[in-house]
Amino acid sequence: MEQPYACLEDVVSDGFFPAVDSALRIGRHVDQEDFEHYTFLSDAQPWLEPFYERYGYELVRAADGYFFLVPAVERLPRRHMTVGEMVVGQGLALLFLDPSTLKAAGVVDRMQLVQLLANLIGEERLSVAINPRRKRRDEKVEQAIVRKELDRALRTLAALGFVDLLEEERIRLRAPLLRFAEPVREQDDPIEALGRMVARGQAAVEPGVEGAGVEAGELVDDEEGEP
Amino acid sequence: MEGAPALMTDLDHLIGTLSAAGAALHLDTTDLCFLIALRSRADQSVLASLEEDVLYDVYEQVCDVLGDVEAGANIRLRATHAIQRLRNQRMLARVDGGGLLGAGEYAMTRLAWSIVEHYVAEETLTRESLVLLTQALVTHTQQVFKAAQVVRREEDWKASVIDPLRVTVSDLLTGIERRQRGLDAQQEAIRAHIGGLLQRDWFDAIGASEVLLRETAGTLEELNAVLLRDCNRLHAVLAEIGGEAARHGMVDAERVASRVSDQVERVAGWGASRLKAWSDYFQFVQRYLRAVVRLDPNRAMSRKLREQLSRWDERPFYLVTAAEPALAVMREPEVKPERPSVVREARALDPTVVDVTAPYDDVPLRDRVRGLLGGRPGGLAEVVAPVLGEAPDAQRYRAVGRIAALVVEGAAVDPGVDRPWVRVSADLEIEDWAIQWED
Repeated sequence: MEQPYACLEDVVSDGFFPAVDSALRIGRHVDQEDFEHYTFLSDAQPWLEPFYERYGYELVRAADGYFFLVPAVERLPRRHMTVGEMVVGQGLALLFLDPSTLKAAGVVDRMQLVQLLANLIGEERLSVAINPRRKRRDEKVEQAIVRKELDRALRTLAALGFVDLLEEERIRLRAPLLRFAEPVREQDDPIEALGRMVARGQAAVEPGVEGAGVEAGELVDDEEGEP
Repeated sequence: MEGAPALMTDLDHLIGTLSAAGAALHLDTTDLCFLIALRSRADQSVLASLEEDVLYDVYEQVCDVLGDVEAGANIRLRATHAIQRLRNQRMLARVDGGGLLGAGEYAMTRLAWSIVEHYVAEETLTRESLVLLTQALVTHTQQVFKAAQVVRREEDWKASVIDPLRVTVSDLLTGIERRQRGLDAQQEAIRAHIGGLLQRDWFDAIGASEVLLRETAGTLEELNAVLLRDCNRLHAVLAEIGGEAARHGMVDAERVASRVSDQVERVAGWGASRLKAWSDYFQFVQRYLRAVVRLDPNRAMSRKLREQLSRWDERPFYLVTAAEPALAVMREPEVKPERPSVVREARALDPTVVDVTAPYDDVPLRDRVRGLLGGRPGGLAEVVAPVLGEAPDAQRYRAVGRIAALVVEGAAVDPGVDRPWVRVSADLEIEDWAIQWED
């Protein structure tokens, strides 16, 4: 079959390259919903893999049908997701896997997510995980903090291409959410799978390690200060 | 035709048997709605049979929907009778193996399914029903157009154009819209069915789900094609009718044609939007089957992910992404045209007064009026008319006022109560005042 691109120059000259390159470098996941960008990446993959490798990045194509960049060397800027983003991401991934979500073509509402997290983790544990401080404050204040953190997490996940935020607090789930299920995908022990992800630089087990001056949540506007 | 006598014999036998058994069907509206609601509940729950409590619950809901207020007090008794009636007529069958212990469990028989199927299909848009309806619509509209070309009187417009458009054509369109709602409900049921299939059979449901998806997509494509074709024809004919109405000044007919055209637009819009929605759903389910079901045939991933999330604080991990600051892209310099700001013209604080001499001088006017007053005229008009004849055109209007003032100065004027209008030049009339002279 004829290759769509004869050389790297053809790839870089393509009109889609600037947008796709910028999106990948800021951490966005490109899936089949971004049809043109995904097709471009699929066609250009043989040229782009060595291209990004020279910068110290690995261009990953997941079996679930999406691309993303992973920094393979220490000097490159990277971000570790926050506790809130991880909890919300895993909850959304669970909803994505649920066949009942199919009826609405992968659109869920925020309340479904909140109920799922409350059922699985419990409100108190969720509050402690998201806001780990010794002295607990008033229940309403705690709830407000959790709500704010969930909003912030959803906005970050949307900016990274995991979900689309729709009107009326509805959320469209996208295939990259399955990245949150990566440690449990294989048949073997999840701890070993996680170890492999950490070794490849796709995950970390230490929280709050930010790289190259890029802070967590920098992708979204932090409109409000902490109460 | 060898089979014919045998068939007749079988038919005679069948009729004889039915007659001997006194077979009959009696279904009132409530029972029929009860059956339809039972089928809907069975579809939603993906169940082949329903428990007795569910039957009572569904019957109550049906009575609520039908507004049967009398049912309230003895609803359970009425439900029991309804269930018994349906059982006697072989529309409900007990499937709990005797039911000596505990509550019964019931399933709808093939007879009941067929009856319900008939009513549901009546309310659902199919290619056949849509083609039939749209063809009838086009024919009716063309007949109305022919009538619109020949009628002249207002009452004929009403009888031949307005009423047919308002009643027949609108009814047909409403028929299509009602069936569209039926098709919407059917699609909802198919979506729920696919979800239910996967919930129950997971990997084994892939084939059935794909067939359902393809069939529904095919049906929608066909319906949309029919709608696009016929709606365009309808729009064209309705525009012609509207044009005829406008030509004859028939505002009502024009308005009705426009309203029907809007209704046609809505019907066509429905087709396009459903096709788009189904296309999105189709793609999502295909991806889901590929990315989730095929890669996780034992459905272990959901269970393990649930466990991972519930114990996440014991063994936390954090996904890593690239995070380069976004590139600062230099924009093309934009040359903006110089646009002077809008300002008020500067005015001197103490404006210079320019003395403009009136081209029609007061002095000769005064002399001329005095001269005329010497002839003791009887009224103001007798003075104004000759003076105006000598004045430049542009000054005449202003001169009338000056002349009146000079007359008042030089003579005794009695304006009186009744002042007649008198023409003093080609383009001016004045109220005449009487001038009084002492003898």
